[in-house]
Amino acid sequence: MTTRATRSPRRRTVVALLVVLIVLVAFIVRLVDIQVVNAEEHESDARSLAMEVGSPLYGTRGDITDVNGATLATTSSVYDAKIDPKLAVQGIKRKDDAGATISVSWPELAVEIAAVTGQDAAEVEGIVTTAVAADPESRFAYLERGLSTEQYRALADLHLPFVGFDAHPHRTYPDGAVAGNVIGFVGSDEAPLEGMEALQNSCLQSSDGEIRYMRGLDGVVIPGTEVQDPAPVNGGTLQLTIDRDLQWYMQQLIAEQTQNLGAESGSILVVEVATGKIRAAAEYPSVDLNDIASSDPADRGSRLFRDSYEPGSTFKPVTAATAIEAGGLTPLSTAWSPDRMEFPNGAVVNDSEHHEAQNLTLTGGLVTSSNVALSQFGSQVDPATRLEYLKKFGVGEGTALNWSGEPKGTYIPTDQWDSQTYYTTTFGQAFTVTAPQVASVYQTIANGGVREPLSLVESCTAADGTVTEPELPEPERVIKEDTADQVGLMLENVFAQGTLAEDIAIPGYRMAGKTGTAQKVDPATGAYKDNLYYTSLVGYAPADDPKYVVLTAFDEPKTLRLSAANRPAFQKAMTQVLKHYRIMPSDSQTPLLPVTQ
Amino acid sequence: MSADSTARIESQLGDDFFSSVPGRLPRDGGRERDLRLLAGPAARRRPRMLYGVVAVAGAVLIGAVQMGLSILTTQTSYEIAALTQQEKQLTWQKQILQDDIAGLGSPQYLAANAAALGMVIAESPNYLRLSDGAVLGSSTAAGGASNVDALGRAAVGNSLVAGVPLVTDPAASLETGVSVDELVGADRATPPPIADGLPAPTTH
Repeated sequence: MTTRATRSPRRRTVVALLVVLIVLVAFIVRLVDIQVVNAEEHESDARSLAMEVGSPLYGTRGDITDVNGATLATTSSVYDAKIDPKLAVQGIKRKDDAGATISVSWPELAVEIAAVTGQDAAEVEGIVTTAVAADPESRFAYLERGLSTEQYRALADLHLPFVGFDAHPHRTYPDGAVAGNVIGFVGSDEAPLEGMEALQNSCLQSSDGEIRYMRGLDGVVIPGTEVQDPAPVNGGTLQLTIDRDLQWYMQQLIAEQTQNLGAESGSILVVEVATGKIRAAAEYPSVDLNDIASSDPADRGSRLFRDSYEPGSTFKPVTAATAIEAGGLTPLSTAWSPDRMEFPNGAVVNDSEHHEAQNLTLTGGLVTSSNVALSQFGSQVDPATRLEYLKKFGVGEGTALNWSGEPKGTYIPTDQWDSQTYYTTTFGQAFTVTAPQVASVYQTIANGGVREPLSLVESCTAADGTVTEPELPEPERVIKEDTADQVGLMLENVFAQGTLAEDIAIPGYRMAGKTGTAQKVDPATGAYKDNLYYTSLVGYAPADDPKYVVLTAFDEPKTLRLSAANRPAFQKAMTQVLKHYRIMPSDSQTPLLPVTQ
Repeated sequence: MSADSTARIESQLGDDFFSSVPGRLPRDGGRERDLRLLAGPAARRRPRMLYGVVAVAGAVLIGAVQMGLSILTTQTSYEIAALTQQEKQLTWQKQILQDDIAGLGSPQYLAANAAALGMVIAESPNYLRLSDGAVLGSSTAAGGASNVDALGRAAVGNSLVAGVPLVTDPAASLETGVSVDELVGADRATPPPIADGLPAPTTH
């Protein structure tokens, strides 16, 4: 209908404006739909259609370093060379020095390849001829796997069109077997299998990414088209508390000593008193991380952290501490001690060596390591309190290491103690602990009664620089400082007056410690093995200002069967620790306490 | 729309409005109003021309700059490609060199080298206290024997350097474990132990 009104120019302007607006709104709606609502779908379409070219970006697994930053584990690359047998067997044509085109046959090429890969020429030739014989259309065979970068480049420089390469990350351990049992290893696919590699995988592991881009006809990447989605993330650097130079020395030492003694295995543990940090955890036999296949599967893990045993005499100081704190005894309290005693409840306790009956002090009980004396001192405290102290010192509680397969230690509840258990618990029998738990007891005594949690990890530094320190339990006061001082002084007297005084002394230094000869149960018979022991020696120095705890242990030494086997190992280990950390000799002498009264 | 409403609008808008609307005759007749000739907007023409020139020049300039940038980026992309290739080569070189030196810094290799030189890891240390010149420790010189035999009984394996000849004794390696202790000689002269601190020179 045409009226005057509809023909009004103003009206037309308004209508035109409305139409324009409607179109504009339609465009905006579509724009939002494309850019916001369905953005992801379109982006992935764009990636798959326009930016077809993509390649994986590998994140690198993090390094493991020692406390001083020396690299103990790092990641490099190895290469798998693959070949196209169908093409290879035809040989190639190439230009000689004069510029003339010549044909080179496959057997001739095989010689060139073998010279690079170190294989036998006939073997290389055989890979292709066998594959072609089996299937003339064969397009794939592995030439050689695990080539080094140098071999890979040399092979690539032969410019053979039928040879291709796949790169793989490869874990390298520059120090080989140094700390091998602690560091652990990964499988060929970088899956963590053992030790810190497995325990701290969350710190070390990387994630792979992908890069996509467009390329021009000449293969050059068009600038601004690269998209990293997702971006690769490198693993973090794991710093251990281990000191690799000290660790090497301890491993060399324990290897020589274990061989000398004809023992099944041996270990040395060095713990810093003030922090509980493990500075060396040496074992023999061990594993060369660069050549794992050459070691016995049983030697690839850590015996030190996985084996538990009845500690024997090394736990006598715990009995002494309990007797002082809960029984009101002093280092000078006495007990009449023959070498064999039958107790009123029927239990019989023997000392390991024959001796005349004597009136031993508590100090003397430790110095002579008398089971009879310790049974008498220990039994002055009720069983529940004794077990409570054992638990406070870590029996049955494990350690803060959380090593995979680490036993917590076992004990018998007091209501199941028989007449023998009632006494044997005073000299380290009828319960089990690990060597780190024993070292932890001595760390507690040396540290004035406060246990610092044992640790092997200093920190984890993520790829973005964030440093994370491990979460450890709070230090715990186990015994009073005064008790710790008294037990410490008695342990000093063990070294100063005991039978091992001469062998173990380090001139100028005051030392404290205790030997232990633990009987081993024969799994076949269930009885203690005859004349085969787990012997250990644990102590700390300097006793006047304790810095480091050293523990040496041998499983079933043969040439020297008792704890005396540990003397040279302990003496050399402690000497090296004192030298390594530049610890000054003591200014004073050990105050001697009476052994008998 | 009815005529009434049209009239209402007209009365509201007044005469002037409708007088200028084409297609309508002024109600009072147009003769009273003289149409005058005004000077044409001749001056406007020049600016329009200038704007045109500026716009075209701008467009040409933008085109030229874009082309220039495009040439530069293309050029740069070739440079990037060349540098990426160079980076790859250098990474390979670095890997090859790293493979070459891997394990040479390991403690067992260093210790074996030192042992081949006749160096020993001695017994307990001695310290000279500067404040009073006192010698702390055992006060004896190190003997000829080492605490551990880092070469003859090398027990801490490392396949990276197992067969690598020692720098200090190319005939020996960690694997072969050839000890040259015998060559160094057992009865080498050891300096006398320090008993009373370092001898001080007499000065005047």
